[in-house]
Amino acid sequence: MEFAGLAAGIAVGFGVLGPGIGVGLATAKAAEAIGRNPDAAGAIRANLILGAALAEGLGILSFVLGILLWTRIG
Amino acid sequence: MDFLFPHGLKYPPDFHIPPLTGTEILRVGPLSYTNSHFTMLLVGAFLVALAWLGTRQKRDVPGGLQNAVEMLVQGLEDFVVSIGGPRARKYLPLFGTLFLFIVVSNWLSVTPFVGQVELLRAPTSDYHVNFGMAVIAWLAYQSDGFKKFGIGYMSRWFNFSGFKEGAFVGAIFVLVGLIELFSELFRMLTLTLRLWGNVLGGEIMLVVMSGLLFLPGLAIPFVGFEVFIGVIQGLVFGLLVLMYFVLALEGHGDHDEEGAHTEGTAERAASREPHPALQRAS
Repeated sequence: MEFAGLAAGIAVGFGVLGPGIGVGLATAKAAEAIGRNPDAAGAIRANLILGAALAEGLGILSFVLGILLWTRIG
Repeated sequence: MDFLFPHGLKYPPDFHIPPLTGTEILRVGPLSYTNSHFTMLLVGAFLVALAWLGTRQKRDVPGGLQNAVEMLVQGLEDFVVSIGGPRARKYLPLFGTLFLFIVVSNWLSVTPFVGQVELLRAPTSDYHVNFGMAVIAWLAYQSDGFKKFGIGYMSRWFNFSGFKEGAFVGAIFVLVGLIELFSELFRMLTLTLRLWGNVLGGEIMLVVMSGLLFLPGLAIPFVGFEVFIGVIQGLVFGLLVLMYFVLALEGHGDHDEEGAHTEGTAERAASREPHPALQRAS
């Protein structure tokens, strides 16, 4: 039980790694696409927000897992 | 020194982490009434009052509050149409209500006294509220799908049409359908947790930032960040619900009209001007 804090930290740290890379890639590609075709900026931005939200959801899941572990400490 | 630290210097300080759910203020049998219920009521009353005051005396040349309300509704409608095409206009009430409620609730999480007074707590930082909204949206789009396709709607989850082309293709189709069914159920959970995690995570971050150094002002830039995140999360919740509606009403498998639909929507989406809120968000 005394490792629950460590487990929470590791879970959140590694869980956020993937979504961070994913959102970064998506934003980079979206910026590239807007630079290439500024007229389609609106559609690209809506899709970017959608994709970023979906990727971020996984990071949030790890955050929730961290909270679950953290509440077990006390 | 005693004036600055009346209880002695302690580092790191004891962070007052907000509770994960609302606290109960009264209980009737098995039902408990929490402070997030109460704040939800206040948010609803605020939005209803805004709508009522804005449309009480309608004038041809709108001014003041009526102008603001009209601009808001118009902007939301343009956004909905740019995402789902003119057919999606009938989802404007659901999308707009969810968006406005979530944004106002998210902004409450950075309002002074909310979360400190016992009766007040930002509703969206309690996952029960988010789960309620997610369940309502989920039931709404599933029932819309059933209304359009009848019982055939379920063929996207239990798809046995592949067996005509051999056992292997059939098995693949069945497995893909099961994955689809699982992700369908998973959507409720992710809608809930995305919003809850963002809002509660923001609150925790503000608490930690204001206690980390002995500088109270350190949290102020993050308040601005949270206001921004509040709008984005409201938009994301509404946008995802809208996308689920569009996906539920789309033809499935080798349906005849599928190609025509999606192409039309994409073209329409591309030809629309970007939504002002999104332009500002960039």
